[in-house]
Amino acid sequence: MNSYIKKGLLFLFFVLLGIIALFPIYYLLISSFRPSEKMFRSGIVLFVKLEELTLKNYRYLLTDSGRIYFYWYRNSILITAIYTTGALFLTSFVGYGLAVYNFKGRNLILTFVLFIMMIPLEILMLPLYRLLITMKIINTYQGVVLPFIVSPLGIFFFRQYATGIQKDYIDAGRIDGCTEYGIFFKIIAPLMKPAYSAMAILLSMRSWNDFIWPLIVLRTNKMFTIPIGLAGLLSPYGNNYDLLLSGAILATIPVILVFIFNQKYFVSGITIGGIKG
Amino acid sequence: MKKKITLGVVLLIVCLVTTPLFAGGAKETKPAGGVTKLNMWVFNALHAKFYQDRLESWNKENPNRKIDLSIEEYPNVEMHNKLTLSLQSGVGAPDLVDININFFSNYLKGDIQLVELNRVVDPVKDKFVQSRFEIYSLGGKVYGLPTHVGATVVYYNKEIFDKAGVDFNKIKTWNDFIEAGKKVQAATGVPMTSFEVIDQRPFWPMIVQRGGDYLDKDGNVVLDSEINIKTLQAMFDMMHTHKIAIPMPGGATHREEFWPFMNKGGQACLIMPMWYMSRFLSYMPDLKGKIYVRAMPIWEPGNKRSVGIGGTGTSVTKQSKNVNLAVDFLAYAKLTRESNIKLWTILRFDPPRWDVWDAPELLAPDPYFGNESVFKVLLEVKDEIVSPNNKLLSAAAQDLVRSQVMYKVLVEKSQTPAEALKKAAEELRKRK
Amino acid sequence: MHRVINNFLYSKKYAPYIFVLPFLISFSLFFIYPIISTIIMSFQKVYIGSVTFIGLDNYKRLISESFFNAIRTNILYTVLTISYLIPIPILIAVALNSKLLVGRNAFRAVLFLPSLISIIVSGVAFRLLFGTGEFGFVNSLLQKIGVRPINWLLEYWPGMFIMVSLACWRWSGVNIVYFLSGLQSIPKELYESADIDGANSINKFLYITLPLLKPIIIYVLTISIYGGFAMFGESFVYWNETMPGDIGLTIVRFIYQEAIQRNDLGYGSSIGIVLLTIVFGLNIMQLKFFGIFKKEQ
Repeated sequence: MNSYIKKGLLFLFFVLLGIIALFPIYYLLISSFRPSEKMFRSGIVLFVKLEELTLKNYRYLLTDSGRIYFYWYRNSILITAIYTTGALFLTSFVGYGLAVYNFKGRNLILTFVLFIMMIPLEILMLPLYRLLITMKIINTYQGVVLPFIVSPLGIFFFRQYATGIQKDYIDAGRIDGCTEYGIFFKIIAPLMKPAYSAMAILLSMRSWNDFIWPLIVLRTNKMFTIPIGLAGLLSPYGNNYDLLLSGAILATIPVILVFIFNQKYFVSGITIGGIKG
Repeated sequence: MKKKITLGVVLLIVCLVTTPLFAGGAKETKPAGGVTKLNMWVFNALHAKFYQDRLESWNKENPNRKIDLSIEEYPNVEMHNKLTLSLQSGVGAPDLVDININFFSNYLKGDIQLVELNRVVDPVKDKFVQSRFEIYSLGGKVYGLPTHVGATVVYYNKEIFDKAGVDFNKIKTWNDFIEAGKKVQAATGVPMTSFEVIDQRPFWPMIVQRGGDYLDKDGNVVLDSEINIKTLQAMFDMMHTHKIAIPMPGGATHREEFWPFMNKGGQACLIMPMWYMSRFLSYMPDLKGKIYVRAMPIWEPGNKRSVGIGGTGTSVTKQSKNVNLAVDFLAYAKLTRESNIKLWTILRFDPPRWDVWDAPELLAPDPYFGNESVFKVLLEVKDEIVSPNNKLLSAAAQDLVRSQVMYKVLVEKSQTPAEALKKAAEELRKRK
Repeated sequence: MHRVINNFLYSKKYAPYIFVLPFLISFSLFFIYPIISTIIMSFQKVYIGSVTFIGLDNYKRLISESFFNAIRTNILYTVLTISYLIPIPILIAVALNSKLLVGRNAFRAVLFLPSLISIIVSGVAFRLLFGTGEFGFVNSLLQKIGVRPINWLLEYWPGMFIMVSLACWRWSGVNIVYFLSGLQSIPKELYESADIDGANSINKFLYITLPLLKPIIIYVLTISIYGGFAMFGESFVYWNETMPGDIGLTIVRFIYQEAIQRNDLGYGSSIGIVLLTIVFGLNIMQLKFFGIFKKEQ
């Protein structure tokens, strides 16, 4: 009996935590179905009256607003895809190199990798921004993606993972006549599949929600990603809450879906990085 | 897996190579069928409506020089940041841009990236309130066209005054204002007014009306002048001694917290420029018919009863590929008689061209504002409207007043008016 | 020619350098170059079309109230978030790890969810919840229990409170997952033998769980310090226009404000260099205390 009470209390405790975790999202959700004028005249309420609910905000977002939201969505998806693909390839390549070869300067490079991991790259945004101007990639996808595509976190992660792979595979590859790179592409890369999945999730989440850098690089409305576009609706000179709230909800849905279907990889993605540190 | 990876690499390369095709579509200027594409940035949705209207009549009147104007709206600070970045980098700036006066002086530093507009301004200059060009000029060259005079007035909520039995028409000096405020507060429990604490109103108009300012005519810092200190002290007393004023909910008149507060009758009056009428109309529908517009009270005899505050200077950037067309359209939209009347009818802005001030459209009674002819107030103070000096340090000065002085003196009470103003002035002098 | 290529492809001598080449390029182009360039810019006044050397002037200007406010806010924010985001998630993870809990995976998923949501989206939700005046949600709750409405966005401590709450709300779930995986890697036998010795659950927690979680705690500490000093989003979403009296001004926000909003790249760079020095110093200290770099190599 005692254990039933314990069980019940524990369960209740987590229900409470769950409510706290979900409440702001719920709040955003109900607000997105309310007419925004109402919000400013009567303040904000917790439970909406059913007859007040309206799809107006969504209709406005998807039709009347010049379809700009679709551009933001497309940009977010493309930037995330390009960044994730590129970063997975490049960082696993480097990480593998650091894991299996013993060469002069390896420790130095590894120190650099760890060092950059610890530095907020926001410090470098000004010169990076000027560099992009010289490279003429301001307001382009490359501008957003390139400076951070060789992610030190990714390198570190793949190096940890590759260190755990048995050397026998590599030796066998050499005996079979593979080039050094062939070994990586044909033998090691397939072996690292779980690592790729985990890292793919981690990197794409980052890129999807990335804020300060795209804010600086992207200039025109049609090039914005969703967070930048939404932040732009927080305007003092015009009431854009109808767009802001419905846009925020729609931006969140794909992330939640991806998460629900790949929960396993999310967890392994963040824990592999954590445990080794 | 190998295939997947190579596919990924190929995809990556394809993407990187082709992205310029997707990128930066803003700058193509194809005159398709005699229509020239121009783009414009604004930071206020209401302004976009005005330009849309002007564009339609331009296209009717100039069939040979038709314009396809795409107007993009960005939030205030963001739009100006983007403009700064674009002008610095030489790419991505629009043809036309609305620049908030708070930031205008930022764009007059170094190599000026805005187009000189004297060609269109000089012929009509004498029909305008001169000071409204001066605030967008450097060394006699005009770089922006004004959108309004921005005459500061007081918006009284008659319902509240009637309840308190106070006649706001009798308020002539700020002392009268304080006395009336005490009666209103006692009778209704509603504060007389509120002051912006993350912005600079009514501090700025209150000092300028009695001869104070942040900078003098030559651009020297006079933020810590005796007049300014005295005025800020008076504001402090209104809040903390006479208890007739409160810090504005949300901190400024443009915050979403303020609108419902004002709309529900949370304060008896508001001291703001004429252009704020449009905000009443859009965000405070419940006050219809209750709001009466009057000139500002004065501190001492000889003070001005209104001050032109705020402003939007519209400019053409040097990055435009159709500078002449852009300038001509801008002149049409901002300088003609017809457009100045539209500034009033569409935006409820007090037009900077004074020869339209007695046009019938402007004198028509307005049902929202007590069914009075609001413009009569402006005509009454016509010769008293002064504007603050907009010199190189102006953006920085306004910034310091908005973010430091008001808050520290009025809310935090961590600095006296003299301390806060002296500190800000020193900080400004360091920037020279 | 063919043979040269083949030799190259099969050479174990060159291979490692080819493998690390992408990093070296990116490192020098997007890290070394910008750092040098930041250092140079920090001694300059940079306007469109005109650059002048002004010596140490930018650094002299740094000795200002705003700069110290920014550092103070960063330190407070970091300390406050860490003092919540380490102990509380550990306790929750221990509870979540309990066999008694029904629906463990579902709860883990729910708690993790906030971290997936963009700072802008969650910031908007918090902004609505903590609206100032009497119209905000939290304020209307406070009024019901007789507390005066709070100006969340206009006062220092309430402002700090909403920034820290947003961070704690977003990151608890991630830290819970970290600690949970740490708990699951602790060998069960340790607990079993403690049971035999008659240890109670508090002792087991203190003498087995905590020491074995140490590497993860250090890792979380490291990323939290990093996150604390790189903070920008929270500040931006609450005070995107003006910020009264520097509440919410962090160092990165200060760089953004001075360099981009006020168009002074030189001054912004000098702030960046100081931040770099601070973070570098913190990392060295950590290295001394915990020796994580040494262990790594």
